[in-house]
Amino acid sequence: MIQTPHVDWFALSPSLALLGVAAIALLAAVLVPAGRRKAFSATVTFVGFVGAFVAAALVYGLSPDAATVISGSLARDRWGALAQIILAGAGALAVLTSYGEKTKEHVAEYYALLAAAGAGMLFLAQASNLMTIFLALEWFSLCLYVLCAIDIERKSRLEAGMKYLITGSFGSAFLLFGSALIYGATGTLRLDLIGRAIAERGLSDDPLIVTGLAMMLVGLAFKASLAPFHQWTPDVYQGSPTPIAGFMSAATKAVAFVLMIRVLQTSFQEDAHLWTVLLAVLSVASLVIGNLAALVQKDVKRILAYSSVSHAGFMLMAVAANNAIGGRAVLYYLIPYAAMSIGAFAVVAARERELGRDVSVEDLAGYGWERPVLGVGMWIFMLGFAGFPLTGGFIGKFYAFTAAYRHGWIWLVIVGAVATAVSLYYYLGIVRQLFLRSPVGAAGRPLEAGGSPPRDALLQIAVLACIAVTVGSFFGVQPLIDLARNAAGSLPF
Amino acid sequence: MPGPGIAAYLGIATFLFVTGAVGVLLRRSPLIVLLSLEIMLNGANLALIAFARHWGNGDGQIFAISVMAVAAAEVVVGLGLIVAMARKNLDLDVDDLSSLKG
Repeated sequence: MIQTPHVDWFALSPSLALLGVAAIALLAAVLVPAGRRKAFSATVTFVGFVGAFVAAALVYGLSPDAATVISGSLARDRWGALAQIILAGAGALAVLTSYGEKTKEHVAEYYALLAAAGAGMLFLAQASNLMTIFLALEWFSLCLYVLCAIDIERKSRLEAGMKYLITGSFGSAFLLFGSALIYGATGTLRLDLIGRAIAERGLSDDPLIVTGLAMMLVGLAFKASLAPFHQWTPDVYQGSPTPIAGFMSAATKAVAFVLMIRVLQTSFQEDAHLWTVLLAVLSVASLVIGNLAALVQKDVKRILAYSSVSHAGFMLMAVAANNAIGGRAVLYYLIPYAAMSIGAFAVVAARERELGRDVSVEDLAGYGWERPVLGVGMWIFMLGFAGFPLTGGFIGKFYAFTAAYRHGWIWLVIVGAVATAVSLYYYLGIVRQLFLRSPVGAAGRPLEAGGSPPRDALLQIAVLACIAVTVGSFFGVQPLIDLARNAAGSLPF
Repeated sequence: MPGPGIAAYLGIATFLFVTGAVGVLLRRSPLIVLLSLEIMLNGANLALIAFARHWGNGDGQIFAISVMAVAAAEVVVGLGLIVAMARKNLDLDVDDLSSLKG
């Protein structure tokens, strides 16, 4: 008999569901007739994301005590499960917003890759070993590189894919080398054992540990598009298919922060005096650069990209605070943030499909009257990004500020408040275009008619769902915070 | 027979990693950039394998093997993109990939 580790299939079920769905969608690319291919693969992928959502919710409910499975390579805990719930929801919305894309080729592959990327992200949310972390990170990154460039007939797509591949792999290489150094200092790949080794052997000032930790954080900063590692973000979001950009800004960021907190809290508590300061500096850089750069952008997707950089700064503030409130704040923040990101990119996608080109801020003039559902949706998402009350964005920011305040960083809260004030300019600028400008082009002629193409019902449903989450997370704040509190309770804060 | 110490291996691994990083930042051809990315990953692999011998456990070696698989997958995607760019008659020069800006 060969001794094999016990495999807890139930804990793996969320990512396995999506992996199975990815295989089915990929087979559909060959077996299902071309006419029904898109409907089939999109339906299967949507069902897969919903299934992963349900499975993650079950794992959340049935795992009150944190445990590791398969020799400590994965964690079965509420922290990972709640992150998986958010990620699976984001993926399901991304399927709905993708369905109206006009590309005829590679549609089944598109959904297969989307499901595979989702599976990798769900896997990463649970990963608790340096090897599974690297593998899961590359797993979903490779899928996203291809998704960015899936429409290879368009130069902008190729450019976005190439840029994302180079910067993403560059970041992954840093993460890998950092992992190697930490393995070298401790002799183990498991996060919990690394933490124990650092505490027991007094390695917190060991040069290998310090360098390795810094390199891992740089790698994760690339994925979470934190300044100054954000330069790829606007180019890639602008060049890639808009629903994918929305999915990336919501899900990639979510999983990067969830992982960052898991790694820092499980393994590097002893080094907290180093990384809290480093992350606070990165947070300030992201807030400043993200908001200032967004002020001068014309293209809506680029504005949203820089806005995502600044929101990474807000979330990082909570991570840097190194307390349980910060952990809860990040998980709570991700819920409205994911909905607002996907919703905002969905509205841009709808306008883009009407115009057949990139959407600048002027292209949204009067759009709120023309398409009330999308217009009101965009309005709510912009207010939510800016942190107005009646949206979850308000409580998310408030919570992140509270975490920084509890850590004694009043100056960081002030930077965050100033950044919020600056961001009002470009968020409200979009709202003003939507409702207070008549739909007239720059040259005085009416813009291309937007009213004629049929409504994209699935996209509207996705936008309505995003509105419901954005507003609902304000009114239903207590249950969500209880969920986040239980989730944060499974990490050793 | 005692071989070189762990410091020597770590030195070579770091040298490889830095060489690759400089290559990614300075070279303009996407092919060379991909090559440099591979050198970075191989630097990390060398460190992993050296540390695995140092600690006498297999974790680092298994990690290194899976990194090789990942590196191969990365090259497949990268070369695919380069071929697609060549078919579109785009210049194979990363500095010319500048239509996305603002």
